[in-house]
Amino acid sequence: MRGPLASLTADDRARLRRRMRTPVLTFLALLSLLAVNVTLGATLPFAHVWALEIAVVGVMVALILLVSMEVRKEPPLIRLFSGLGFFWVCIMVGMTLTDYLAR
Amino acid sequence: MSASGTVEGAAHREPHSPEATIGRKPDYLHAESTLRSWFLATDHKRIAILYLVSITGFFVIGALAAGVVRLALVVPNGAIMSNDTYNKAFTIHGVVMVWFFLIPSIPATFGNFLIPLMIGAKDLAFPKLNLTSWYVFMAGALFTLVSVVLGGVDTGWTFYAPLSTAFSNTWVLPALIGVTIVGFSSILTGLNFVVTIHTMRAPGMTWFKLPIFVWTHYATSLIFLLATPVITTALILLIAERAFHVGVFDPAFGGDPVLFQHLFWFYSHPAVYIMVLPGMGVISEIVPAFARKKLFGYRFVAYASIGLASVTFFVWGHHMFINGQSDLASLVFSSLSFAVAVPSAVKVYNWTATIHKGSLRLDTPMLYAMGYIGLFVLGGLTGLYLATLAINQHVHATYFVVAHFHYIMVGGTVLAFLGGLHFWWPKFTGRMYSEPWGRVSALLIFLGFNVTFFPQFILGYLGMPRRYATYPPEFQLLNVLSSAGATILAAGYIFPMLYLVYSLWFGRKAPANPWDAKGLEWETSSPPPTLNFVSPPEVPRIPYDYPIQATESKDQHR
Amino acid sequence: MSESFVNEPLADGVGVARAHHFESVAQQREAATLGIWAWLITELLLFSALFLVALITRIQHPEATVAAARHLKFWIGATNTVVLICSSLTMSMAIEFSRMGWQRAMVRAMLATAALGALFLVLKGYEYYADWSEHMMPFLADRPFELAETPAARLFVNLYYVATVLHAVHLFTGIALLLGMTWMAAKAGFLSRHQNWIEVYGLYWHFIDLVWILAFPILYVVNRAT
Repeated sequence: MRGPLASLTADDRARLRRRMRTPVLTFLALLSLLAVNVTLGATLPFAHVWALEIAVVGVMVALILLVSMEVRKEPPLIRLFSGLGFFWVCIMVGMTLTDYLAR
Repeated sequence: MSASGTVEGAAHREPHSPEATIGRKPDYLHAESTLRSWFLATDHKRIAILYLVSITGFFVIGALAAGVVRLALVVPNGAIMSNDTYNKAFTIHGVVMVWFFLIPSIPATFGNFLIPLMIGAKDLAFPKLNLTSWYVFMAGALFTLVSVVLGGVDTGWTFYAPLSTAFSNTWVLPALIGVTIVGFSSILTGLNFVVTIHTMRAPGMTWFKLPIFVWTHYATSLIFLLATPVITTALILLIAERAFHVGVFDPAFGGDPVLFQHLFWFYSHPAVYIMVLPGMGVISEIVPAFARKKLFGYRFVAYASIGLASVTFFVWGHHMFINGQSDLASLVFSSLSFAVAVPSAVKVYNWTATIHKGSLRLDTPMLYAMGYIGLFVLGGLTGLYLATLAINQHVHATYFVVAHFHYIMVGGTVLAFLGGLHFWWPKFTGRMYSEPWGRVSALLIFLGFNVTFFPQFILGYLGMPRRYATYPPEFQLLNVLSSAGATILAAGYIFPMLYLVYSLWFGRKAPANPWDAKGLEWETSSPPPTLNFVSPPEVPRIPYDYPIQATESKDQHR
Repeated sequence: MSESFVNEPLADGVGVARAHHFESVAQQREAATLGIWAWLITELLLFSALFLVALITRIQHPEATVAAARHLKFWIGATNTVVLICSSLTMSMAIEFSRMGWQRAMVRAMLATAALGALFLVLKGYEYYADWSEHMMPFLADRPFELAETPAARLFVNLYYVATVLHAVHLFTGIALLLGMTWMAAKAGFLSRHQNWIEVYGLYWHFIDLVWILAFPILYVVNRAT
């Protein structure tokens, strides 16, 4: 990477750093969270570890939606739509479980 | 092409004055006339016509299959045709009518044509996607049609496992693949409508100035988006089950056929509202126009549309009371099902309140709308019977159910479709149909429909199960009555096909607004120009600004 | 209305050409963004229905499901998750480059994204091969099944194939679209006419990653615990 970067002006480098900051930080956060989950999955340290694993996945999904997919910068309508599908998944799963958890 | 017109916009013309034709650009029908200009059209109006022609074809096929079924049931012993033929006939009827007629019927035709006109836009947001959806629809539908007609499928339109996966030796696999493909066209249409209604409204066209037709189509489109993917998954699993014995629906491996029904009805119950809501939109346009009165309780009707589209996702289990789902699930689904009655009743009461003290004109569209309201009430109330756990035990999978959903699907959706077709025919084609023939057909259909399906309520209550080719001899009289009614109904369907087509060439030229109705679609010429409006339309002060306005509440249209 | 939803203003010469049926570029951008989000809702429900089936399988056959999940290639799945997280980064970079108007850097980031997507598919293919050689393909009628003594394990294993194949189809389509778009995006003037294609496509790519971020734990991880 040194080659192409060398041709940049100081101003461009500053712009680049500013623009790339969020994606790189998100990337690192996602990798760390994945590392947590992989460790938990490989070692199975305690009972009901799945609950913690699902919580970690929840954080990863939220990161991707809010930061990578920039939902936090979108107008309310897009935010609504980004959440709508998840809400409907809850309806589907919840109502189906009224059957399977009560059989 | 620029929208800057050559003449003053059509908006301020008297409703019955002759059209200004000199110097006007050709309308969308006459803009181009090559086959290519139709089959590669991106104009939403032309795509609507493509859909209209194709679903009419599917309706005819589905109706013929229904005729075969009614013919078989004239005698109790199944002597007219083999059981296999009978099973294939009712499957063709169900598959074609549900998947290829009812689901796309009003949205893909009237919705496609009218939504941009009603909101004052030049087209849908994604015109090429709109054309794609028609091709996807035709590909899937023709593929399935070949399988169910030439090959034959005997599972019914519901494709329940394990009959469809382990037992049927008919062409289930290709039929499933075709139905899966058709789902994508629904999704694309729904996506287009949602985006169009959100982003393409003319300046000043706020949500509470939108016609109810647009509201109901918005609600329908949300169902398209939220429910269709789940049936796609269910069908993919069913295809995988049949082809590779995946096992998730197969009791032999510990799988659960009821799980297929959960996924199936998560879509297919909301699909009832895909079929019903657009019809409610049509009725909400026709009733004020022919009562000359502002729609009563506009906001309530609008909210009720969204309410129906949401509540409908919580009630699917009422199709599954006797299949082994847990008692808790049956209880929850049963009680929630009663909630559906609330927004439905809001609509019916508001339509009747609109008619009350209106200045009624009983032209053909209004006859259909009146028929719709009556039949929808009967269909809806019998739905409450079926949602009641104890009664459901008695009438489950009988002709009571068949009669119930035909009152909703035919008495509701088909009547709304025909009413809307007559209401907007002048707008679509620029021609007037024959009013006397229209009224005669509307009355024939209402009569024929009731003679066909009312006896089925009695048959079901007496215990005649659905989907059997034979029945005890004491049911013959009611079955013959039902089949006789079907012939009247058939005559009622044939007349409009004749006089509407006749009007295309010989009908009186239609003015821009033959019914003196309100709404932006009536402010442009009949048929509209390619870009819908010669000059940008002026958004009205309030929706349904008809001469008679009940003093319901001051802030109805703040 | 300005481009208020974009973090920093677009560079000079970067933008969108208005199609005839839209009144303004802002309206056109809004329609495209809303359109892709509406599509992503359908994608989410499509996969969630499969995840629901996995959940029901777990509820009905806990031991068989755990046995099946422990036979999946956990480390290949984890590696593939890393690959997709990397591809998300390169996609985000491509979007930022497109906003900055750095066309060449954008094209390279897009190619890197496609390459990472392809790497995922290659690893997935290797995983299937490993599954095959370990007799973990119960849908093959003429091949013995490793977990034959617990018949219900077949449900979860087959479901794993349905879900991963469906995801792979989405990824394959995504790579094909991405390569097609890269070819167009390398031409002069692309960024002044279709910059928002990159943004809209980026949302699709991130979402396919998100689906895998969900699929990996649901299929490989949570069911390892009894």
